[in-house]
Amino acid sequence: MEIACSINITPNKVVINGKDVNYTERGEELLTAIYRRQINDYPKFFKMDSLSRLGFVASELLLNGEPDRFKPREDRAIVFFNTNSSLCNDENYQKTIQDKNNYFPSPAIFVYTLPNIVTGEIAIRNKYYGETSFYVLDRLDIESMEQIINDTFQDLTTKSVLGGWLDCKDKDHFEAHLFLIKDQKTSKLPNWNKIIINKIIYNKQ
Amino acid sequence: MNEAILELKTQIIEVLNLEDICPEDIDENAPLFGGGLGLDSIDALELIVLMEKNYGIKLQDPAEGKAAFKSVSVMADYIEKNRTK
Repeated sequence: MEIACSINITPNKVVINGKDVNYTERGEELLTAIYRRQINDYPKFFKMDSLSRLGFVASELLLNGEPDRFKPREDRAIVFFNTNSSLCNDENYQKTIQDKNNYFPSPAIFVYTLPNIVTGEIAIRNKYYGETSFYVLDRLDIESMEQIINDTFQDLTTKSVLGGWLDCKDKDHFEAHLFLIKDQKTSKLPNWNKIIINKIIYNKQ
Repeated sequence: MNEAILELKTQIIEVLNLEDICPEDIDENAPLFGGGLGLDSIDALELIVLMEKNYGIKLQDPAEGKAAFKSVSVMADYIEKNRTK
């Protein structure tokens, strides 16, 4: 297995395959700027919560240019991890039910009160019908990430995994460190392990 | 465009996060669902909340909701006849 490509997005920076991409926008505005400049054909982006927006734009930049990009496939899994689950959006939902005299639960906010919704958003966009999962860990645990992603390859279907760390504390504090791992039967040496994940996450490529 | 229609379009754009769409872009006589706005079932639920929150209208019969959301002008008419605030 080997890592085909990677992306890092933080409120102040976008790095694709180890190279900085120039954006002047910061925080929440950065994600909107990426959408406007690089995607701009999926209005549902504006209905998404912050975690889904982050995962969506990160996956778009990561997968941009991939051959047969939108061809339906079952052999690609999505496996994400974080510590804050969907807390950012949960807090927004809480605001809609906080006041008993102004109690209007928002269905559109409620549907994002689970972290794995973002994996569904990405799967729908790309027509992936394979495994999707989102693990909430107590810390950035790279060993567990490596183990879980390796386990994902144990089924007979999965040939690649869109995986990584996708965490959003609030609209201005977030980080995405995603990568695409492919099962290359022809590779003589495995180019994939926790050391590589560590380098991607800490941008030491 | 009369004031009630304009107000309703503005509210719909806001609650449904219809970015890049302005009131003039919405044909008040066109179907709200199944048309160019790309609205889905969650949007329908948000419109039900809008009706209750802004106009005090509780839509409990799904058939009634389907009729009320036929278009913006039908929705505005329904609001005018049933609003409690």
